[in-house]
Amino acid sequence: MRLKDCHNFQDFRKLAEKKLPSPIFHYIDGAADDEITYSRNTSAFNDVDLVPNVLRGVENVDLSTTIFGNKIDLPFYCSPTALQRLFHYDGERAVGKAAKKFNTMFGVSALATVSVEEISSMIDTPKMFQFYFHKDRGLNDSCLERAKAAKFDVMALTVDTITGGNRERDLRTGFTSPPKLTLASLFSFATKPMWGINYLTKGKFELPHLQDYVKEGTSTNTSIGNYFSTMLDQSMNWKDAEKLCAQWNGHFALKGVMSVEDAKKAVDIGCTGIMVSNHGGRQLDGSRSPFDQLAEIVDAVGDKIDVICEGGFQRGTHMLKALSLGAKACAGGRLYLYALAAAGQAGVERALGQYKAELERDMKLMGCTKISDLSRKNLRFRV
Amino acid sequence: MNIADCRNFNDFRELAKKKLPAPIFHYIDGGADDEVTLRRNTSAFDDCDLIPNILASVGKPDLSTTIFGRKIDMPIFLSPTAMQRLYHPDGDKASARAAEKFGTFYSMSTMANNSIEEISNISSGPKLFQLYVHKDKSITDDLLDRCKRSGFDGMCLTVDTLVAGNREKDHRTGFTTPPKLTLSSLISFALRPSWVLKYITNKKFELSNVKKKTDKGTNIAKSVIDYINEQYDPKMNWKDAEYCVKRWNGPFALKGVMSVDDAKRAIDIGCTAIMISNHGGRQLDGSRSPFDQIKAISDAVGDKLEIILDGGVRRGTHVLKALAAGAKACSFGKMFLFSLSAGGQQGVEHLLKMMHDEINRNMILMGCKNLSELNNSKLIYRK
Repeated sequence: MRLKDCHNFQDFRKLAEKKLPSPIFHYIDGAADDEITYSRNTSAFNDVDLVPNVLRGVENVDLSTTIFGNKIDLPFYCSPTALQRLFHYDGERAVGKAAKKFNTMFGVSALATVSVEEISSMIDTPKMFQFYFHKDRGLNDSCLERAKAAKFDVMALTVDTITGGNRERDLRTGFTSPPKLTLASLFSFATKPMWGINYLTKGKFELPHLQDYVKEGTSTNTSIGNYFSTMLDQSMNWKDAEKLCAQWNGHFALKGVMSVEDAKKAVDIGCTGIMVSNHGGRQLDGSRSPFDQLAEIVDAVGDKIDVICEGGFQRGTHMLKALSLGAKACAGGRLYLYALAAAGQAGVERALGQYKAELERDMKLMGCTKISDLSRKNLRFRV
Repeated sequence: MNIADCRNFNDFRELAKKKLPAPIFHYIDGGADDEVTLRRNTSAFDDCDLIPNILASVGKPDLSTTIFGRKIDMPIFLSPTAMQRLYHPDGDKASARAAEKFGTFYSMSTMANNSIEEISNISSGPKLFQLYVHKDKSITDDLLDRCKRSGFDGMCLTVDTLVAGNREKDHRTGFTTPPKLTLSSLISFALRPSWVLKYITNKKFELSNVKKKTDKGTNIAKSVIDYINEQYDPKMNWKDAEYCVKRWNGPFALKGVMSVDDAKRAIDIGCTAIMISNHGGRQLDGSRSPFDQIKAISDAVGDKLEIILDGGVRRGTHVLKALAAGAKACSFGKMFLFSLSAGGQQGVEHLLKMMHDEINRNMILMGCKNLSELNNSKLIYRK
């Protein structure tokens, strides 16, 4: 199987599984507990059907939308995800360049393996920095200042990782950052020698936003769940978020809002957007899927801030459904991570290109030429 | 595989399967008829979703609650289950000690292999006794009086076993108490020599609480089904239950209530609690699952008695959902019997620790500081 054989999300996933040592693949692929929420995030789209309109003259389709004051050419973007150089040696460089090519938003994680400065020197298209509220206030200030200086457009504070989720696949495979060779995982690393050679020869593994402050994740092996539970500030509250929002003094979003009341509070503290998200089902299993919860949140705050639906997207039609319900844009991590693991920048470009082609085709089939043509009139929920 | 590798229900189940002779494993594992209710007991939890709140500054959530007049450290406890020495030579002693260590209820079955007095001597933790009304009334009176003298905190009367369920796995394996060697089961016992060795070298198998009154089940190899059908009084009615409540004169529950009407009658006869249960799907296949039924019962009687959800619980999030729907606590049988079979007291402790950690983690992810914050607003049922 090669990149040219990848025609959809599942194909990229299969190729990624072939390329990655199993602890790393399962870190991407896994979720919390029984992964009920993870699978619901996608299956939720199947409980609603699209109703097309005909004879509308649809030869030119405009997929652009405006989020956080930036016009982007696609109604979806790359969510911030951690540790990308573990998946492909180019890591954030590959994803950033692909996002630039399609002129969409690129989310960079606090746990990124390439620095905000390097990314900003590389791409001038819209960029989002994803921020974890650490116990170390010096680290927090440093992240905000560096992202500001690097001209990042949006700051997203993650609010659903107050403690680590129970990611049982990681417990079984012993996944840590940086990767640790154990007797149990030796075989899986040994059977993927190319990954090992690239990991060792293509530049040192770093977490440039954190490593001046904390050893965990770079010189001390830690699981991601453990990192959340021990390094992040569990006392984080609305006051802290409000202060950060003011300190950033620009477009600010909360990532991981699920309840309507929290969405309203986000408006009150000055946020300009929220990501409706359950962290890809990786935190609280049994929590509602973003798509199931989207309409209520859009109804409550959709006219005041940008509501982004994050999680579960595997198809252009999934995105059409979320946009029809009122999401300003869609976002996903696995959406491009399997493709990154499969083939680096070329993989991500192929994946983004396919979603774009699907969206264009499906918009035409729906009888729509621009995103604002989509509305709830196009949807019927099965009862 | 050993206890340290057990991270969820299925892990414990697999390990128990390795340790137990097949007829004994299947006695725990099986349900009535086609096991439709057995499966639904757990899958019911997947038809509703949790809605977390963010930025709640939870800190260390308080997991304590009060049932049967005793404060317990977490909202789960061990359901009464019969004949625990079949699963591990320490039997009830192991489960009682483990429950005490985690500050929660151990429950003793009428058909326990340790006596009321024996257990009250080794554990000062919260204790619940499970009563069957026998045809011979003096057996019932004797059990109630001995529990009172031995300082048991609560009494529950099982009301869903007037006749034995059709447990087809037991028919097939020829499960009896005490275990009987038959030609067909010979091989399954021979495959588990360490179980057999422990069984025959430890204290003689007996139904300690009823051995003076009847030798059925102790000296004559009987199937549990025959025992239930011969010894239990199928004419038991509300008057008999009321008689037990009065004679006990303390916290009292009916175990196996499923209808709203019966829950109301339980209040009328002086019960302080009910256990919503279908006996783990082992009696009436096709009956409703406790979780599907809890909201209706809670709406009707939740302010007047303590509601315990018994059955189907496998995860911390299941407990959270049950509490949000109106339960005061949850209890489970199968799950802890697998842990007992897998590793005795240490196995049960490992399970209780795992469940404690899951509930604690998920309370933090839900943004809840104490159990009373779990209410209907945190749950959305899928349509």
